[in-house]
Amino acid sequence: MEGKVRIGFYALTSCYGCQLQLAMMDEILQLLPHAEIVCWFMLERDSYEDEPVDIAFIEGSVSTEEEVELVKKIRENAKIVVAVGSCAVHGGVQSWEKDKSLEELWKTVYGDGKVKFEPKMAEPVENYIKVDYRIYGCPPEKKDFLYALGTFLVGSWPEDIDYPVCVECRLKGHPCVLIEKGEPCLGPITRAGCDARCPGFGVACIGCRGAIGYDVAWFDSLAKTFKEKGLTKEDILQRMKMFNAHNPKLEEMVEKIFQGVEE
Amino acid sequence: MKNLYLPITVDHIARVEGKGGVEIVVGDEGVKEVKLNIIEGPRFFEAITVGKKLDEALAVYPRICSFCSAAHKLTAVEAAEKAIGFTPREEIQALREVLYIGDMIESHALHLYLLVLPDYLGYSNPLKMVNEYKKEIGIALDLKNLGSWMMDELGARAIHQENVVLGGFGKLPDKATLETMKKRLQEALPKAEYTFELFSKLEQYGEVEGPIIHMAVKPRGDVYGIYGDYIKVSDGFEFPVEDYKKHIVEKVVEHSFAKHSFYKGEKPFMVGALPRLVNNAETLYGRARELYESHRDLLRPTNPFANNLAQALELVYFTERAIDLIDEALAKWPIAPRDRVEVKDGFGVSATEAPRGIVTYALEVKDGRVAYADIITPTAYNFAMMEVHVRMMAEKHYNDDPERLKYLTEMVVRAYDPCISCSVHVARL
Repeated sequence: MEGKVRIGFYALTSCYGCQLQLAMMDEILQLLPHAEIVCWFMLERDSYEDEPVDIAFIEGSVSTEEEVELVKKIRENAKIVVAVGSCAVHGGVQSWEKDKSLEELWKTVYGDGKVKFEPKMAEPVENYIKVDYRIYGCPPEKKDFLYALGTFLVGSWPEDIDYPVCVECRLKGHPCVLIEKGEPCLGPITRAGCDARCPGFGVACIGCRGAIGYDVAWFDSLAKTFKEKGLTKEDILQRMKMFNAHNPKLEEMVEKIFQGVEE
Repeated sequence: MKNLYLPITVDHIARVEGKGGVEIVVGDEGVKEVKLNIIEGPRFFEAITVGKKLDEALAVYPRICSFCSAAHKLTAVEAAEKAIGFTPREEIQALREVLYIGDMIESHALHLYLLVLPDYLGYSNPLKMVNEYKKEIGIALDLKNLGSWMMDELGARAIHQENVVLGGFGKLPDKATLETMKKRLQEALPKAEYTFELFSKLEQYGEVEGPIIHMAVKPRGDVYGIYGDYIKVSDGFEFPVEDYKKHIVEKVVEHSFAKHSFYKGEKPFMVGALPRLVNNAETLYGRARELYESHRDLLRPTNPFANNLAQALELVYFTERAIDLIDEALAKWPIAPRDRVEVKDGFGVSATEAPRGIVTYALEVKDGRVAYADIITPTAYNFAMMEVHVRMMAEKHYNDDPERLKYLTEMVVRAYDPCISCSVHVARL
């Protein structure tokens, strides 16, 4: 890309963690001579949501009718649209109960109270506009940002990771949380890139980077292990829904994992 | 009634966490209406975690807010542990507080240097200050890095710390890492003190001066800190955290996805660093105590802008406090990271001091699952009071240039350090 790259960071409904992760990167200072920040409300008072940009980073899930309009506007103005983090890519944890009605959730929390904005059930950005690239994680790792930004700036294209957290966990030599402790670790089916951060601390993976979109050998052996450890299909399905509720292949994937395994 | 002027609005307040705006309507007789519009979408955290396995719900709660994810994690875990009848060992409690302090240091440093200071120095964006304010930006990054590194080591990550589990931690850092942590905290002390000096010179706008009801957790063991079992109000009243619903009511307001909270039915109140100091200053010790005594005139309980300076004072205090807590843990070394817990049925309430004030969790556990959840975040507690102060500022300046009015009212909001996404979890009625 020639000249200063025009960049926008846009927030939908989220915890702001993806932006915070980016704001916490000292490396961002090195980017400044090469970039012009057109929109980034978290840090920049002179931010504009409707100006043309080269790269639009969008974090958060689409959770109000106003945000539907906003993502469409961002798409029109951007050459490259990047969905950042679990909310923008997969709808986020707020999608955990996406099969319940909005009215039911609203009533539980707000009672009969009314608000002048239009809420809707949380959805990934991709449900409304074409997304060119995804940065996974809740929050994404710093190196995910560096990799994406770096490749865009040299005019190239970042590649998706096609292997699961288990690969990184084995390479690091951590004890297996699933096999040795019998905990419902989602490492075998979750997209790698975090260096097996949680299993490294002895904590089971909760799948925050989302399920890998490819069939891998792990699936075949997993069913047996899950079953042996007393994990049920329903429990695994619920756990996967935390960060994957909108994944169209979710049920199919769990079905495949438990294929031929008697409950 | 017809208004003479167009409403003055900031659609999206910059340099705060989350999406909110200010709307001021001016009529013939002055300021008619002041609203903080909270436009961030709802996320229904209580509703979506009910019926879910306890450990999975505990992984989701921190996602309410990234700036205070450690606060959410640790408060939710304490409520859950109270519910199942488990009390962590003292050394585990000390290390959890060190993790919490990591969040406090990072959050205060980010708020003060990156969100507040640019207004005072005339910048729209802190990144633009790099060349002229090298020292300040350097200190901001050093303190922020220290806080996030503490959370990396103790929480597995600076945002959304999965390493805190029922019964303790998944894994603890080794002794050498804790010793390094202590050393880095010692090296950070002069930087924290520089921050306090810097912020003691900034203007606190007299326009918003007036009585404020302050609310803060009464620190456990009478040592200024984060955990406690009672809420203390500046009118002299105290109540057990379990009674929070008896003394605080929440109301849905039409212009906000976040609710407003009132004390004794109708009184707005403030939570945060300033209320902690106002209510608990006698429990401070060390250098922070000295700075508090010598700067009492600036740490005014009547001015929300003093919250910025109170945060700067806390940077000094919590840096020293973390050193003492690490010593406490090291004295008991080696430490087992976690105890076996049995997930029994029960109900637990925890209120702790997040960077921007009291955060409350009430959890009921049944058959290993969450049966009831009620969460109130600091910003939700603060909204009603924030609106009062924005109104005070607007009443003094509504005839000024609208840009100046916007600028001043945004500064009022920023002094509260609001976490807007965090407020939109919204509590069950």
